[in-house]
Amino acid sequence: MSGTSTEYLLLLTAVTAVVTFLLRALPFLFFGTGRRPPALVLSIGKVLSPAAIAMLVVYCFACYVRDRAPADHLFGLAEIAAAVVVVALQLWKRNPLLSILAGTAVYMTLVQTVIP
Amino acid sequence: MNRKPVLKQAFVSSLPVLMGYTTMGFAAGVLLATNSGVEHPALWAFLTSATSISGALQFMLVDWIQKAQPMLEVALLTVCLNIRYSMYGLSLVERFRGLPIAKKLYLIWSLTDETYALEVENKVPPGGDSILYCLTLAALNHCYWIIGVVSGALAGTALPFPNKGIDFAMTALFLVILTDQCRECRNRVYAAVGLLASVACALVFGAGRMLIPSIILMLSALIVFRKPLEKLESWRPGGRS
Repeated sequence: MSGTSTEYLLLLTAVTAVVTFLLRALPFLFFGTGRRPPALVLSIGKVLSPAAIAMLVVYCFACYVRDRAPADHLFGLAEIAAAVVVVALQLWKRNPLLSILAGTAVYMTLVQTVIP
Repeated sequence: MNRKPVLKQAFVSSLPVLMGYTTMGFAAGVLLATNSGVEHPALWAFLTSATSISGALQFMLVDWIQKAQPMLEVALLTVCLNIRYSMYGLSLVERFRGLPIAKKLYLIWSLTDETYALEVENKVPPGGDSILYCLTLAALNHCYWIIGVVSGALAGTALPFPNKGIDFAMTALFLVILTDQCRECRNRVYAAVGLLASVACALVFGAGRMLIPSIILMLSALIVFRKPLEKLESWRPGGRS
């Protein structure tokens, strides 16, 4: 692991903080006088979130497929098993913390013991 | 006006968030200390958690630091992750109107999912100051988040443990958010759009370069097929309700 430069980290902190703040401030900046946002903006704002989260799930798994050659790792059994635990627990208990901790524990146990 | 009951109620309302933020923040902090390779994890844990106050982002940051992700991609992905915040203000514009600028800026800056939910619920005691209630809630939740992330970073630095596979916490977080979103039928349609667009881009561009093309493809599809997708929202496979 290489040490990341302080400049990069400062820039990263600033960019994420400013973009996040601007998103939070958007309605106050543009719709402070009782005007409603255009329909397209409202609808994209509502539908982009599930699409983006689905994309990030695909991204995580695409990285596993790339980094852990499937044939050497029982075809992603560890990833699939841990993902099933997370989704099943979340559907059942609706407790995000429990689902994340249990799924991560299952994954860590599997990759540190049975499926390296 | 008596301030004490307002402060007390704000603290009581924030207790569930205390549990959630310290634990989730702790996990994100550990991940930062063990997987990002930064030199002073606790310092960066403090700076990042204090300035952006965003759960999913805190986990993604570790991935970005590892890969030295280009800033344009960081900015675009931050928009994707946090676009939901831009909807929250719509229901608070009226309440925050006319406030002194410093209070208003802090209330906007601190608007997380949980803080928003509690501010909308607004369990302020009768006759109490609703803005004082919101400010107290926001500041408490903000502190819980910082404490969680920083203590996680400290623990991750101080106690080295076999951490192989801990990066799955981020995957698990996204799976949890997706699972909850998909309880609503309308969201399933849009999750499917994201899924199809990103699988296609993963196959064409590879895992390392898939995100930007996926965002472009996804956004175009959402805009171009807006009407047909809206019709699909109420569609049930096999007529199930």
